[in-house]
Amino acid sequence: MTRKPKTIGTRKDKDDIELSGLSRREFFASGAAVGAGVAAFGGPAAAQDAPQDAAEIEWDYEADIVVLGAGCTGLPAAIRARDLGASVLVIDQNFDAGGRMLHSGAWVSLGGGDAIQQRDAAGDPDAEGFIEVDPLVSPEALDDSVDLLFRDVTDWSVLDEQGYGYYRFNNPDQHRGWAENCPPTREFLMENYCRFARIDGTHFGGGVSRARASSVFLTLGDETDIEAGTISQEDAGVADPERSSAMCPRQLSVSADRVSVNAVHGGGAMARCLEYSARQKGVQFMFNRHMDEMIQDASGRVIGVRASYTPREDPESGERLESFWSNGNVDERAETITIKANRAVIVGTGGHAGNPMFRSQFHPRMNEPYYPTSGWALLGGEGRAADGSGIMAGMKIGASLDGLHQNFGRRTYHIQTRLGTRDAYTDMYPGHPTFPFRGSAGFNIGGAGFEHLIAVNQVGQRFFNEMALPDEAVEPRYPGGQEFGVPNSWDEHNVGDWRNCSIDWVREMYHYTHGVDAALQINEGSEAPEYYSGPIWAIFDSAAVERGDFPIREPFISTTNGQFFEADTIEELARKIEQGNEFQRMPLSHLAETVEQWNRQVDEGEDPEFERHEDEAPMHRIDEPPYYAASIMVIWHDSYGGLRLNRFCQVLDMAGQPIPGLFAGGEASGGGQMHGLGRATVHGYIAGTEAMSDERNPAPT
Amino acid sequence: MRDSGAGPLPAPRDVGTPQNPAADRLGRDPSHAPDGTAPNRTRQQARDKMTIAARAASVLAAALCIVTAPAGAQDEGAEIYEANCAPCHQSDGVGEPPAFPELAGNEGLADAALIIQRVHYGLEAMPAFPDFGAEEIAAVASYIRSSWENDFGTLSEDEAEELLASVEPPGGGASQSIWDGVYTEEQASGARLIYQGACAACHGTRMNGAPDSADMSPAPPLAGTAFMRHWQGSTVGSLYEFTRVSMPISNPGQFSDQQYIDIIAYMLSYHGAPAGDEPLEPDLEALNDIRIEPEETDDQE
Repeated sequence: MTRKPKTIGTRKDKDDIELSGLSRREFFASGAAVGAGVAAFGGPAAAQDAPQDAAEIEWDYEADIVVLGAGCTGLPAAIRARDLGASVLVIDQNFDAGGRMLHSGAWVSLGGGDAIQQRDAAGDPDAEGFIEVDPLVSPEALDDSVDLLFRDVTDWSVLDEQGYGYYRFNNPDQHRGWAENCPPTREFLMENYCRFARIDGTHFGGGVSRARASSVFLTLGDETDIEAGTISQEDAGVADPERSSAMCPRQLSVSADRVSVNAVHGGGAMARCLEYSARQKGVQFMFNRHMDEMIQDASGRVIGVRASYTPREDPESGERLESFWSNGNVDERAETITIKANRAVIVGTGGHAGNPMFRSQFHPRMNEPYYPTSGWALLGGEGRAADGSGIMAGMKIGASLDGLHQNFGRRTYHIQTRLGTRDAYTDMYPGHPTFPFRGSAGFNIGGAGFEHLIAVNQVGQRFFNEMALPDEAVEPRYPGGQEFGVPNSWDEHNVGDWRNCSIDWVREMYHYTHGVDAALQINEGSEAPEYYSGPIWAIFDSAAVERGDFPIREPFISTTNGQFFEADTIEELARKIEQGNEFQRMPLSHLAETVEQWNRQVDEGEDPEFERHEDEAPMHRIDEPPYYAASIMVIWHDSYGGLRLNRFCQVLDMAGQPIPGLFAGGEASGGGQMHGLGRATVHGYIAGTEAMSDERNPAPT
Repeated sequence: MRDSGAGPLPAPRDVGTPQNPAADRLGRDPSHAPDGTAPNRTRQQARDKMTIAARAASVLAAALCIVTAPAGAQDEGAEIYEANCAPCHQSDGVGEPPAFPELAGNEGLADAALIIQRVHYGLEAMPAFPDFGAEEIAAVASYIRSSWENDFGTLSEDEAEELLASVEPPGGGASQSIWDGVYTEEQASGARLIYQGACAACHGTRMNGAPDSADMSPAPPLAGTAFMRHWQGSTVGSLYEFTRVSMPISNPGQFSDQQYIDIIAYMLSYHGAPAGDEPLEPDLEALNDIRIEPEETDDQE
């Protein structure tokens, strides 16, 4: 069966949103080869040695630019390419746009003297007059340049609290391009409805010597109107503390400190503004569509992708989940399709933090499939969220990788203080269509709340001082000083000065607790060949619920999602956990004995094994039924390490040469120790620009 | 907006680096607090917010041992003093009477229990430092008792620990408690959004110290048992003053006095203290007349 390839329109008017479908069926018998047929890690020879049995590719769709992923790399890339005249089709495995940006804090750390730094340095308000607070940092701290920014993000001498060279391993060429494109990206985002709050610090990885980060906000109004900059209380999620909206899976945060008490910021505000602009400009979206492989022609040029249908259904009603907005959507339900990219494929598929096989290449203990990536429910759970597919598809056609060890700088995997949900990195409440996938919002007890519980592993044994369990080191960034993991404050920090990493400083800065390491290690229940460490459980009693004011009710907990259990005896509790959680692969055989021992230690005021002390926090007996167990999660949040880029965001092969027609950015790329949106938005902007550049990426003849 | 509420005190904060103590940079200019040197919120900072100065000081004291000459409690005391006390009492101990009493030649310093009471619970314009342990208090007390030609002797850590355990709060003389209906419902609910916007990112919507923002780390609880453990025996005045001069940590003094006291009212309501007919006013004398104590005072030791 053959079908006509549908052409994605190129005109920019809104009328063009409907598919033109004008092209006759075409065969591109240009020696195209399916990527899977090309030797992995083929190196420089891969392009020349593309398979001889040139397959005729029948294309179902075509567009100038095919963007993989509707997130923080993909949306800016799509808008930018569209601005430059391209027809653009964005595909995403999920049912809605936004990717992980949608549940972020909307921090965009750019700099280099960008427009918001200039605005705040001058003490000016925003153009619309929403901002009611004065600048939060001094003009001196905003006096930035591209050169300084570039030096900052490649400063070899900055060590984090664990003694890791945080910026040392950043790819210089990629970061030169990044720094140069920060100021234009800030303006680009502003032109696409992103309104920026007062600058406050830098976000992780944004350098230590200047303030560069600002969050995207909207103001509360009677109705949601992106162009006017307003959002309703319901859409923002501030109307009801236990309700999210379909627009914003995470409730937006009030921006009293950086905009006004009527403003809200958060990933929903940013992602929806960019999505709105993209749709308005005629970018088209095909959701429920996962890129499976890239397709090259005989010359090695990437000319398209193969993608499969990946709908999501409401667990109760069985109805397919639909995107929040739908104008510009292409509703294609065929199982597998091919999409031709006339000019370029841009990879914005996100990282590999949700793929246990991929991530365990870097940390063998993170092969435990129970531990998810952040945004697990939002992005679709196992095998979908941050599955590394863009990276692996690139590897199959000979792309090289970069920055793999940068996963070991912090910000990758850590223990959460939100208990009783598998999706523990962020909260989400009923009202967003993916809430049923997590089943519970979880309840965040903070660090202080750990005094009320003991934490046990899959065989029911304690393994670490609970009070130190969620402790983490901090990334080095502005404004420096101890709290920011930098020996010097920003105005005393000398870029590249060896004293920044002298032994005295390392001693002074060092801070690391090993709670997450202990949680992940092999224990009595770990069995060959995987040696899974298994779930960890918070065990507490009804007195703890009272003392800690734990909200043991829906939507914070669920009695059916395997993350929370209640019983009248510890023995029964252990049985319920084993029966109710699919990753609890064995009985918690030591649990009763562990609780008894803990109670004895409380009576004695001593915890010889793990050294909890009364003067640190009170120790409490666990002896008032009912007893409870709530899951404690290790989350691999964002990942580092991925496709190697040059300054134009072209993907490089093993010879260091750009793979024609292939661009990438954000978490699908490697070589940059930078958390958050600053990295991805700039990559998207660069990729969109260069993919349409006649110099960099001339249109194939 | 910031000016209307800027307190006279910069926040207690990191003491900077051995080569160039932050105290020099902070100086005594209150306008310095909200500028670029004011710390942003981070996980680490929130992790230990109220003891940052103490932690940094002790870490730095250790660093000084390595970097420079042998150092002891006196150096630690100096660091703590410069970071937390000098902004009001001045580096040379002359203070700014009458609001900030001089410490040089102050006979009251002979009474170690008085020093510990003031530091631990605060009084009037002086914020409480409830997270300073015996080591920090001993160091700073020894420092002020033996600086500027003072000669009141030093205070050992053991002595400080003993006094800390026994010293009575100044709030004992207060005539009201938070359970007497000291704020209004309207005042508390009116501060909800500003609390969520300025405080919840670190302290959490539910005030249990669980950050709303995934990028922040746990901060001290502002309601419930852990909050009461810290503030029991102090006064609403001390809590107000501490909040006003040190929060939000990225930009202390950002809000108006009225907004700060409204936030305190919201905190009290969240803790479960009953509302009454009159709002809390940003009047330090009146606020110091309100004790912070657990609900069932009869059951307390």
